[in-house]
Amino acid sequence: MAFIDLINVSYKYPGQQRTILHDINLSIWNRGCTAVTGSNGSGKTTLSKLLLGILTPVTGLVKLNGQPLTSMTLPQIGRRIGYVFQNPDRQIFCATVEEEISFGLQNQGLSPDQVLQKVKAILDYFELTRYAHTFPLALSAGEKRRLAIAAVLALEPDLLVLDEPTAGLDPYRKRLLGDYLEKIIASHKGVVIISHDHQFIARYATRFIRLKNGQVVEGQGA
Amino acid sequence: MNKLDPRTKIVIILCLSTLAVVLNSPIPLLVLFVLTLVILSTFRINFIGIMFKFKKLLPLLLVMLIVQSVFAAGGETLLAYKGINILTSNGFNAALCILFRMLILFSSAMLIMTSSSKDYVLALVQLKIPYEIAFMVMVAFRFLPVFLEEIKDTLIAVQLRGVDLKRIAWGNKVKFYTHFFTPLLWSVMLKARQLAITMEARAFRVYRRRTYLRVLRYSVLDYYVMAFFLLTTIMVLFYVSLDKFSPGIFSMTDHFQLSPGKPLLTTVALPVLHCQKYKKCPDSCSSGLIKE
Ligand SMILES: Nc1ncnc2c1ncn2[C@@H]1O[C@H](COP(=O)(O)OP(=O)(O)O)[C@@H](O)[C@H]1O
Ligand SMILES: [Mg+2]
Repeated sequence: MAFIDLINVSYKYPGQQRTILHDINLSIWNRGCTAVTGSNGSGKTTLSKLLLGILTPVTGLVKLNGQPLTSMTLPQIGRRIGYVFQNPDRQIFCATVEEEISFGLQNQGLSPDQVLQKVKAILDYFELTRYAHTFPLALSAGEKRRLAIAAVLALEPDLLVLDEPTAGLDPYRKRLLGDYLEKIIASHKGVVIISHDHQFIARYATRFIRLKNGQVVEGQGA
Repeated sequence: MNKLDPRTKIVIILCLSTLAVVLNSPIPLLVLFVLTLVILSTFRINFIGIMFKFKKLLPLLLVMLIVQSVFAAGGETLLAYKGINILTSNGFNAALCILFRMLILFSSAMLIMTSSSKDYVLALVQLKIPYEIAFMVMVAFRFLPVFLEEIKDTLIAVQLRGVDLKRIAWGNKVKFYTHFFTPLLWSVMLKARQLAITMEARAFRVYRRRTYLRVLRYSVLDYYVMAFFLLTTIMVLFYVSLDKFSPGIFSMTDHFQLSPGKPLLTTVALPVLHCQKYKKCPDSCSSGLIKE
């Protein structure tokens, strides 16, 4: 049994004719780095939302550790899987950068000291310390993306799902992100990256999945 | 039917919703609702799926039923508890009225979706409404679903970070929503500003006169349909205001005189109270009117 199992999953957005994903069987482990590629509109984002239980498959079943996702609530899932949206604006909802990062930690029931420590470490690593008290939506696009990733990474989920995380990052920040991902993978956690950035995934990913015509194709190399 | 001019559709919707607001007892409203559905089916609109969504409103209706029964006196008492009327025929009628009204308003609004939003801008402009306002209306319709989608995503992000929205207490819920109001407002403003820049970059309002690629023209069918709806509506309004039908079927003239500025509550509540006045003194009231 894998960490996440997709069993005969098909998906179609309500009110639309086209079935975006056909009868997919896929297992994802919370080890190593899986890259998902595919052309625009091939259903990568849709697939990632199915993994998180944000969308419910029309037919088929998604299981997390053998338990159907439909029987779990989003907060329960969020404890195990971290998700960074393709559009970081959508997951930024606090009044300051610092608060944005501490929000999830506080909900995990950590003590104020622990929260403070973690927030400080994460802000330092992603070089956001000088923005700690600014309004997050006023940051530049690249900074917002760093913040969105940082806020999810701070929670240390077993599996991290990133939807096009390198879009808008400069080469230096890409390397920082990559290094952090390597650390995560080394500490026996899993990462799923949806990306068009072939260089990036060729460097960090260990498994390659391509979405084509609503089907999953396993491949070697980017 | 789908080829009808957007202006005709606007007229149809206005007529139907006017009637829905004016008519004030279950049977005529039911008739109007059936009529609306017939109209929808001539436009080939699938309304059955939408109707099922009204299931969610049932608890609200139940509350209305009891509230109307308890506070609006009159009618036959169907159920009483310690001298308080829990269920009365008037309360029942009022709840039915509300149900049918909502159904009519929602289903007639579905007609809008049979033309593209561009056509409505054209329609409004050709009805001599300034282009800026017409455009704003279109932007509002165009962006509402986008904003809702965005808010939905944000709420998902919040839940994934550990807040169980379904379980938090009411007090916290209010705090929670006020907490997220500022960022939300900000992102809306940001988007509005971006839209404004894009529009200006594409020469919005640079020239005073706009020309249009397509000009809407009424067809013969448009004239017929529009005339039919306007005449029917005016006739019904006329009958209602004369109170030609017995007061039990259509209610009274008075609520036409309500100024539009009066709060919605009075416009909804007064007619209901009115009905009950008649139930009590059917003879004197109606005979007085017929003499006029
Ligand atoms: N909320 C939605 N409603 C309807 N259709 C959608 C929605 N989101 C995405 N789609 C459609 O689903 C297809 C796949 O989208 P997506 O999974 O976002 O692709 P991508 O691989 O680029 O991330 C696209 O053709 C898109 O038009
Ligand atoms: Mg995508």
